[in-house]
Amino acid sequence: MEIRLRNLRRNYGSLHAVDDVSLDIPSNTVYGIIGKSGAGKSTLVRLVSMLEKPDNGEVYYDDKRVDNLSKKELIEERRHIGMIFQNFNLFSSRSAADNIAYPMEICHMDKDHIRKRTEELLSLVGLEGRGKAPISTLSGGQKQRVAIARALAINPSILFCDEATSALDPQTTRAILALIKEIQKKMNLTVVMITHQMEVVRDACDRVAVLDSGHIVEEGLVSDIFSSPKSDVTKDFLSSLTNVRESIVRWSRDGGHFTLRFRGSSTDEPIISTVSSETGAVFNIRAAGVQNVNGEEMGVMITDIGPDEETALKAAALLRKMGVVIEEEKKEAE
Amino acid sequence: MDFLSQFDARMFSLVAESTWQTVVMVFLSTIFSMILGLPIGVLLHVTSSEEQGGIIPHPVFYNVLSRIVNILRSFPFIILMIVLMPLSRLIIGTSIGTMATVIPLSIAAAPFVARIIESSLKEVDPGVVQAAKAMGSTNWQIILKVLIPEALPSLVSGVTLTIINLIGYSAMAGAIGGGGLGDLAIRYGYQRFSPAYMVSAVVVIIVMVELIQFIGDRISAHLISKR
Repeated sequence: MEIRLRNLRRNYGSLHAVDDVSLDIPSNTVYGIIGKSGAGKSTLVRLVSMLEKPDNGEVYYDDKRVDNLSKKELIEERRHIGMIFQNFNLFSSRSAADNIAYPMEICHMDKDHIRKRTEELLSLVGLEGRGKAPISTLSGGQKQRVAIARALAINPSILFCDEATSALDPQTTRAILALIKEIQKKMNLTVVMITHQMEVVRDACDRVAVLDSGHIVEEGLVSDIFSSPKSDVTKDFLSSLTNVRESIVRWSRDGGHFTLRFRGSSTDEPIISTVSSETGAVFNIRAAGVQNVNGEEMGVMITDIGPDEETALKAAALLRKMGVVIEEEKKEAE
Repeated sequence: MDFLSQFDARMFSLVAESTWQTVVMVFLSTIFSMILGLPIGVLLHVTSSEEQGGIIPHPVFYNVLSRIVNILRSFPFIILMIVLMPLSRLIIGTSIGTMATVIPLSIAAAPFVARIIESSLKEVDPGVVQAAKAMGSTNWQIILKVLIPEALPSLVSGVTLTIINLIGYSAMAGAIGGGGLGDLAIRYGYQRFSPAYMVSAVVVIIVMVELIQFIGDRISAHLISKR
């Protein structure tokens, strides 16, 4: 199901938690929404998932407007979406299986059907035979698996993940993300993933929107955003991922200061050597790193280019021609 | 009269009779106070502000109901009994005796029960309620399938506390002719200077309180251990 947001606004007093957000979330994708805490992402997900009404603007699921539904329609519409949370939000009074059965129970489904479907879902999320387990006996990863099974019980067309992996360790996070991706393909879901972790975007999402103080500052394919980020917020998120950032770099006094971003095939070529021998530029590499984004390699390098300004600019121009994205850092007055 | 010689067959049969009266009084008034207090407690919780976990916030309704509950709770029980005597006479036909005491006991305990229920429901993780809402639960489903089951161990502790309070109240009810162990202690122990009656009544009440507390704790612990 496609989700369209039009000029969404939500204020809390004088705070513009979500300020004029318009987004198209295509059907059948994993869509990331990333932002720091306080960027408005929790409010945004509450608006998109019909848990809260916007002060202004519209939310569409396919062509159906869902932000102004009556109470009865709202309850009906919510029964077609799934949602998982940072703290799992499972019912401690129910066993794993009974948690999964809950959304079917409230729709008054047939008991036999519920039992069969619960078994199916338990094996889908890799928890066969654990149906009777009380929630408190499960690990964090298992709890999130139960929550995923519960969210999928009613065959939703959209799955909202609100910081779903933030309470999990890195290995478990990877396993849960892999599960979500697998399920997305199997069930043709539209997955909306709210997160503050760039690695979640890198490992799971097809597209991403970057949220800052209630605004979308950048939106696009994950591989494009990773190879040529535009906004400072995005760059900051990326540098926290590779730990390659200007603030840890001690610059030299000569030449220019540059951040180079390589993508795909350009990571295989000896670009620096080529440019160096052709222009006579000298590189003093301060920090560098490589990561895998959706199967594509992305490199980032922070470097001085010398020996003088002129050569540096020549080298930069040549690098650009070779497909490297370059940003020149402004030298601070000393 | 010698203290020990007061422990005769007549005393034991009187103590047994009074104990039974207390049990009946406490049992019935627990049930009636729950019937009155549970819906009020649930209403208080669901109409409280969103920050407090209310699912249908209604500040005006909440404040009015909350005020009424507070007023009823501020009444000294003995005064409430006297005020409610006409009501007992209307419903039971008399204003003295065990059955007549059940009415003021239930009404006195109901606001207490309401607050206990409210605070138990408030402890339910708001995230869980949000999840239930996101799945398309109706308000009734949230109350019956989420709030109450999630709060059950705490609700059981609340009921235990209510029963113990009612044992205390029922002893006080003896002062105005309510029957039961309180009545026995006042009429025989105090007014007729028979300390053996006083001691027996108090001992029986202590045993009852200990027993209720023990059973309540066990049930609550059992519910928690299954989670």
